[in-house]
Amino acid sequence: MLLVQPDQGPPSHHDAQTAVECTQLTKVYKKLLARRTRTVCALKQVSLSVCRGQIVGLIGPNGAGKSTLLNLVAGLILPTEGQVTVCGHPARSVKARDGLGYMPEHPAFLGGYSARATLRYHGALLGLSRGAITRQVDRSIQQLQMQEFIDRPCSDFSQGMKQRLALATAIMNDPQVLLLDEPSNGLDPVGIIQLRDLLKQLRDSGTAIVISSHRLGELEKLTCDYLFMHRGQIITLADQAAAGAGEHVRVGLVSDGPRLAETLLPASQVLDVSETELVLAVNDPADVPDIVTQLAKGGARITSVVLQRENIEETFLRLCNEGCNP
Amino acid sequence: MRAWELMKETFLRRRHIWIVHLTWLVFYGLFWWLFLPDPEEYGGFLFLWGGFLLPLALSAGIMGDDIASGRMCVLVTKPFWLGEVYLYRLLGLSLQAALHFILAGCVILVLHLVTRKGTMAGLGLWFLACWLLFNTYAALSTSLSVVIKGVHNSLLLFLGTLTLSAVAAMVIWNLQDHPMAEVVKGFFRYPFPPFEFLGHLGKGDYAKQTLALGGAGIPKSVACAAHSLILTTIYAGIGVRLLTRRQFSTHRD
Repeated sequence: MLLVQPDQGPPSHHDAQTAVECTQLTKVYKKLLARRTRTVCALKQVSLSVCRGQIVGLIGPNGAGKSTLLNLVAGLILPTEGQVTVCGHPARSVKARDGLGYMPEHPAFLGGYSARATLRYHGALLGLSRGAITRQVDRSIQQLQMQEFIDRPCSDFSQGMKQRLALATAIMNDPQVLLLDEPSNGLDPVGIIQLRDLLKQLRDSGTAIVISSHRLGELEKLTCDYLFMHRGQIITLADQAAAGAGEHVRVGLVSDGPRLAETLLPASQVLDVSETELVLAVNDPADVPDIVTQLAKGGARITSVVLQRENIEETFLRLCNEGCNP
Repeated sequence: MRAWELMKETFLRRRHIWIVHLTWLVFYGLFWWLFLPDPEEYGGFLFLWGGFLLPLALSAGIMGDDIASGRMCVLVTKPFWLGEVYLYRLLGLSLQAALHFILAGCVILVLHLVTRKGTMAGLGLWFLACWLLFNTYAALSTSLSVVIKGVHNSLLLFLGTLTLSAVAAMVIWNLQDHPMAEVVKGFFRYPFPPFEFLGHLGKGDYAKQTLALGGAGIPKSVACAAHSLILTTIYAGIGVRLLTRRQFSTHRD
């Protein structure tokens, strides 16, 4: 994935491998209040591109602009400034929508339709022939394990069933770009594993997938490409941020932690200290034996050494704190 | 396939739709059975219930429901011109109305044959007038539904029609002998659903003129039908434009 910061300008040309391209995207919502107009800038000059065969996770706190970004790519809303292209075509154009699959956070269906009728309805909207619709419906039933509820009316569906059906309708046209807003909402553990496998299959077949999710653990199992958003801006690529933050080592001690930290280690390396434990920042795992040797020579009685890497959740929290207090 | 599915859902989208059809048919039958009206009175009743109230009941939330529930967001991402959603839904309503009036005619015919009461004379023209009025109101209501969430489009149109009718009646009454009276009448007659013209068409006034004047009523009938169809097209055009330019989510995460 190529991330273009505002000061670097827009990407110069459209690459055949680029599935989604956003250039200097700004979205301002205007709300008419009693006697004045309130404006909310949901996105500020966001530029990015997503390649085919790539899964990108959008992470960030509530109100960060994740859904706004997805909605702009889906063509549901229009940008105040900037432009979005999907498969080389302007978002919202029929050609762009031809290669697009979209699954909203809260999928809604006609209550009187069964899952099968809903799938047939969406197949018809896609312009498929009667035979193709039947084949696609059968494939979707198999792919998303919908046999149990395929002929039940949608009004009786649980959230998980709705999510499966929404995903089935989103991937019916074998999209080149798939946009998912909280796709694992309400899914049971088996459903989550099936979803993960399906998304990996789609990625391997060349589909670009953009996921907005608060389930960071799930996202971590799918991709290492994250966009961390805060207050309408892409703060950083999360994997770069994680690498920048480095790893840390936890050294267990019998006693004397504060004295050892003060006399043997530079203050910038010590992240946390207690009587029986030191948490130290390391830029390279190869440095750990040297640190341990240095501590042992200084008289430390070491009980354990654990090398830990910051996971996506810790990265998220750190970036949130940095974003809130730049 | 797409056209059929979009038309079909105008009937299947809510459970109350078939209840409305059934209830209206029962009303038509009861009115015939209980009041034995003359054709003009019965035509007026059909015109009000079938031409005015039926489209409001059938088109309540026809777009607004989907916009409010978020279902429209998925339709917007499908690869076809968004105006098709509007046009096929309007066509679906119009077809429903056509079938509804055919069934209503059958109900009345059966009652007429069973009871040997009343007359069927002139009802065909009333049904045509009802269908034309239905289309204009359906287009107006569907266009309102693009900008008004939920089922409030029909309620607003109902109240708007009552208010406008009252205002029109009051203004025209006060300007009876004023030279501006015709201009004011024109303002109320032409841009709004043509109750007055279609009422004349249903009553057979234009047909009577044809008999009396030797063909002069035919252009009036055609002009009346054309006027209502042009209004339907204009209302639909506005609705399509609103729908294709609309943004479908101001939701912020």
